[in-house]
Amino acid sequence: MPKLPTANSPKVAIFVDDKEVLVPGDTNLLEALKTVGIETPHICYHPYLPVSGNCRQCLVEQEGPRGRMLIIACFTPVTPGMKIYTPASSARVKNARQATSEFMLVNHPLDCPICDKAGECSLQENYMESAHQSRLRPEVGKQYHGNPDHTFVDSKGQVRGGKRVALGPRVTLDEERCVQCDRCVRFMRHVAKDEQLQLASRGDHTYITTFPGEKLDHEYDLCVTDICPVGALTANHFRFQQRTWLLSRTPSISMDDSLGANIWIDHNNGKIWRIMPRCNPEVNRSWLSNTSRLAYMGFTENRLASGDLNIVSDLLKHAKKVALVAGGACTLEDLAALKMLKDYLGDRASLFGGTLRPVLEADGISKSGDPLANRAGFKALGIPDNNLNDLMKHAADYDVLLTVHNDLFGDDEGAMILKKIPNRVILSAFNDETSKDATLVCGVNHWSEVTGSMINSLNILQKLSPAPTCPDAQLKPAYEVLSTLAGNPLTSAIAALQKVQEFVPALKPYSYENIRSTGVKLDGVLL
Amino acid sequence: MMEIIQSKHWVEWLITICKFGFAFVPVIFILLLIPLERRGAGFIQDRQGPNRSYFKIPYFGRIRLFGWVQNACDGLKLFFKENYSPSGVNKFIFSIAPAIPFAIVLISPCVIPWFAPMVFTMGDEVIRISGQTVDTEVGILLLFGLSSLSAFGAVLAGWASKSKYSLLGGLRTSAMTISYEVCLGLSIMGILLLVGSFRIDEIIAWQEANVWGIVAQPVAFFCFLIAMIAETGRAPFDVAEGEPELVAGFHTEYGAMQFGLFYMGEYSHIGINSILVACLFLGGYSVPFVTTETIQSNIGISLAVLCGIFVVAILAFLHLLYRYARWYKKSAASNKQVILREYSLYKILGWAAVVVFAVAGVASALFFHPQFTVIDGQPVYGIGVALGTALIHILVLLVKAIFFCWIWIWVRWTLPRFRYDHVMNLGWKVILNIALVNLVLTALIAKLLGGI
Amino acid sequence: MVRQIKQKPMNWIERLYIFEAFRGLWTTLKHALRGLLRYETLPTVPYPEIKPEISRTYRAKHRLMLRPDGTPRCVACGMCATACPAHCIFLEAAPAEDGRIEKRVLRFDIDHLVCVFCGLCVEACPVDALRMDTCDTSYVFRKREDFVTPMYQLMSWDPKDYPQDDLQSQMAPGGTKNKQALDAWGLKVN
Repeated sequence: MPKLPTANSPKVAIFVDDKEVLVPGDTNLLEALKTVGIETPHICYHPYLPVSGNCRQCLVEQEGPRGRMLIIACFTPVTPGMKIYTPASSARVKNARQATSEFMLVNHPLDCPICDKAGECSLQENYMESAHQSRLRPEVGKQYHGNPDHTFVDSKGQVRGGKRVALGPRVTLDEERCVQCDRCVRFMRHVAKDEQLQLASRGDHTYITTFPGEKLDHEYDLCVTDICPVGALTANHFRFQQRTWLLSRTPSISMDDSLGANIWIDHNNGKIWRIMPRCNPEVNRSWLSNTSRLAYMGFTENRLASGDLNIVSDLLKHAKKVALVAGGACTLEDLAALKMLKDYLGDRASLFGGTLRPVLEADGISKSGDPLANRAGFKALGIPDNNLNDLMKHAADYDVLLTVHNDLFGDDEGAMILKKIPNRVILSAFNDETSKDATLVCGVNHWSEVTGSMINSLNILQKLSPAPTCPDAQLKPAYEVLSTLAGNPLTSAIAALQKVQEFVPALKPYSYENIRSTGVKLDGVLL
Repeated sequence: MMEIIQSKHWVEWLITICKFGFAFVPVIFILLLIPLERRGAGFIQDRQGPNRSYFKIPYFGRIRLFGWVQNACDGLKLFFKENYSPSGVNKFIFSIAPAIPFAIVLISPCVIPWFAPMVFTMGDEVIRISGQTVDTEVGILLLFGLSSLSAFGAVLAGWASKSKYSLLGGLRTSAMTISYEVCLGLSIMGILLLVGSFRIDEIIAWQEANVWGIVAQPVAFFCFLIAMIAETGRAPFDVAEGEPELVAGFHTEYGAMQFGLFYMGEYSHIGINSILVACLFLGGYSVPFVTTETIQSNIGISLAVLCGIFVVAILAFLHLLYRYARWYKKSAASNKQVILREYSLYKILGWAAVVVFAVAGVASALFFHPQFTVIDGQPVYGIGVALGTALIHILVLLVKAIFFCWIWIWVRWTLPRFRYDHVMNLGWKVILNIALVNLVLTALIAKLLGGI
Repeated sequence: MVRQIKQKPMNWIERLYIFEAFRGLWTTLKHALRGLLRYETLPTVPYPEIKPEISRTYRAKHRLMLRPDGTPRCVACGMCATACPAHCIFLEAAPAEDGRIEKRVLRFDIDHLVCVFCGLCVEACPVDALRMDTCDTSYVFRKREDFVTPMYQLMSWDPKDYPQDDLQSQMAPGGTKNKQALDAWGLKVN
């Protein structure tokens, strides 16, 4: 893996275009130039993959003992005093990059109109950046015209491999578009640690393939469609669904795992079309598991309608003993509101938390394996995070069960013992197993539709932003419902966060404005 | 009571009662004027004008009557619209105001002579019937008095509407009516001087005997015409309802048939004024170059000539019809079959009318030889001759009046509206002075030549 | 640059107005008589019955061009929807059955109430699938929903209404060049 600059990197002076600049000394030239605001086009380089250096797109010039030479920026470590020339001062670099672009485009079909990568394609970006003044002109037979007689024939007169090769159940390969950057191969080899993809053949005939008879099938296989710089690898679930530039992106956190993978919720017309990993070097880097990525398909299905809160509050008023159960997808705000409800009900209520799903091993990529996403938040607010067994043991003592975002019955058959509790009030987004067996249900917003915050397993405070994709405008966030039951409605997330800060004074300095998109590391502040 | 009734012959009563029907002539003029105005405006502006409304009859299909049906449609629409008024208005005045101009034009025709005084024998009696409904010495003064009353409608409407625009419109109307009333009166003083009477039938008789007023008093004619147009409040003198500054003037707040009454009042006013101009300056009912005595002694020939004129007019109409039909047959219009069907009805009616009038004309020329008795050295004919003459006279008067109606429309669609101060300038500083000078000169010349 | 135009001052006859008014009356009389006696020479067209000649370059209602086998030429790239300043094009894509085409359009609606007829969609189309040369300018419906023209309506046009030298139109089913195009493209009509 390339060494990336950090805040503690030593600063060294190098000369870029004959001007002295201070850059991090322990990284490669491409990253170093990025820190001073010089973007270098690249295809095969990826900050979280080992450097391969095969695309030759990131060429710069370096003053060496034998004069100025073209080098690739991604594979050149920064050395103090090195003299670097970028296209800003060097026509040779400009020409070289242009020529590299041309070489790549010569064998690349121009079917951008139907390519799902169009709009976020590195090749397109580089072309617009450097090569659009080149000698390249649309050639006969190459310009895409959408007719069945269109077959892309490269400059040597050969058809460049198959369209629509099904690499696996989730990924489709278009061999024409592949530029053989081998990012996907490196991802599978070094990140997924399961070498399922290979470059086969030599030279001009190189193509991406799996081993004979094998399929590309891995928990992280959809990441290869993200890192593919062109439209060669496409995800079946997003294929032909939307053009990328029509999508609006909402930064959020995937609340199905306690690592809290950073995600983009890509939506258009009130519908989520895909979930993409959002780069956070400390959490999930650029990766996202298929489970989190494909979860969006169920976000708007099987939803509950909002319930009548008066009945619930009447029930709570006359209850003798209430069990309040918090679930994994609860944000800090929801937990604070639950705590308010506990305080409101006083001794009659007791708090429970946790999940009945098994806690797995961390896979080291973007999952910690713990399904209770906000476990650190539970601890911070002093809500028990693993005492559901106590509840099940003493189920007979309670006459009202109120769960928030916790599918108890669906997670474990053993939870059916809780049916002994006569009144089961379920606050959930989905009409899941627990809701079906409930006596009272009350729909709330899903976590993709609320503003909120969570603390992940690495003790990083992260914030969720709402995507405008809620199917029912009547639905309210769980914290609003809970605080209404507690007799003190928190109508905005900001008010709810202030409530969190009342309970946890250590969080006082933070607001939604100053929690960065990559989160805030709480270094032992809480625990 | 019975003595009064018995003092006259029943025919005299009958005709006198029939003469009340003339009160509705200006109302009938509305039916003529609206299509004339709208299609005439269309043609002047190279448009087609409204020609779409139709009613359906069997076989001939959609009958459009060259846009005539549009009247009925608009009238129907206005009738069925809701009458509304702004809040806080004086409801009584607000609703009575539109009726005033319209009511006045129903009274005005009473002093117009529609035909020469009838003299005919009925058995042993000699019956004389005047051409006017009201046979009065002050005819023209009465007419002027009535016609200036119509300004009340506008003034009251403007005041009652509780709207700045309406009020300004009403004020302008009253100011303009007063100004041009003076010019109106002064400009006809010349001809009154020559005739020596206020009676309109005597003015016409003078014109028949001597020369038409337009020849005797050309300057007065123009002054009178301009003042008349100004008094009806139409372009170029329609400052009272000038759209750019006053929305619609005094009838801004009116809708439905209340607006329709203003509208009809304006048109019937044009009608009555046209008849008046025709009477004062174009010889009224008199046929040019032919005296009433000549018509009466050759009544058969006269009616034949009238029928001949009808036949020629209908033939001209048929000629146009055939030309349009030919053009439609060649054109790509999708509705040409419908139109040709409609035209076939007009053709049938036209040819039938030609035949009827031709036969009637020939018959009257061959067989209508009236008998007469000589009374006081004058030949007096029977009732048939008298009615025939009256018919010719009425038609002649109406033709002259329609010609003036066209002038009203023609001027409106040609000349741009005057500014308000220009209107006042023209009235007080130009036309009034010209009329005064005309009066003085007429008096001098008349004194020198005629020694009146 | 400001150009001063000197107006000819009116002479005293013109300033009298009355003679100029008569000149104006004469002009309008000529027009009125032309309308009465030469009605057919009026420049106005009685619109719904006689339709004016509309140029092929006029931006009228859209149509979707067809492949020789009758499928829409559109590949659902969304360029038109992206270029549309009024956001009146709604399209959905699907994988095509014919592997050589890859992507086909599933739904293509244009809301003609929202459309501003700027023609940017036609310019944006990379495969010449969308044109505005139907010369159809009348949109009369009773409900707002009816103004949303669905794909099958955009596709229902007749090659006979288009000129012979419009090869792209003549390649469509029913056109004079349909057979050659089918042979050349290797398409079958099912």
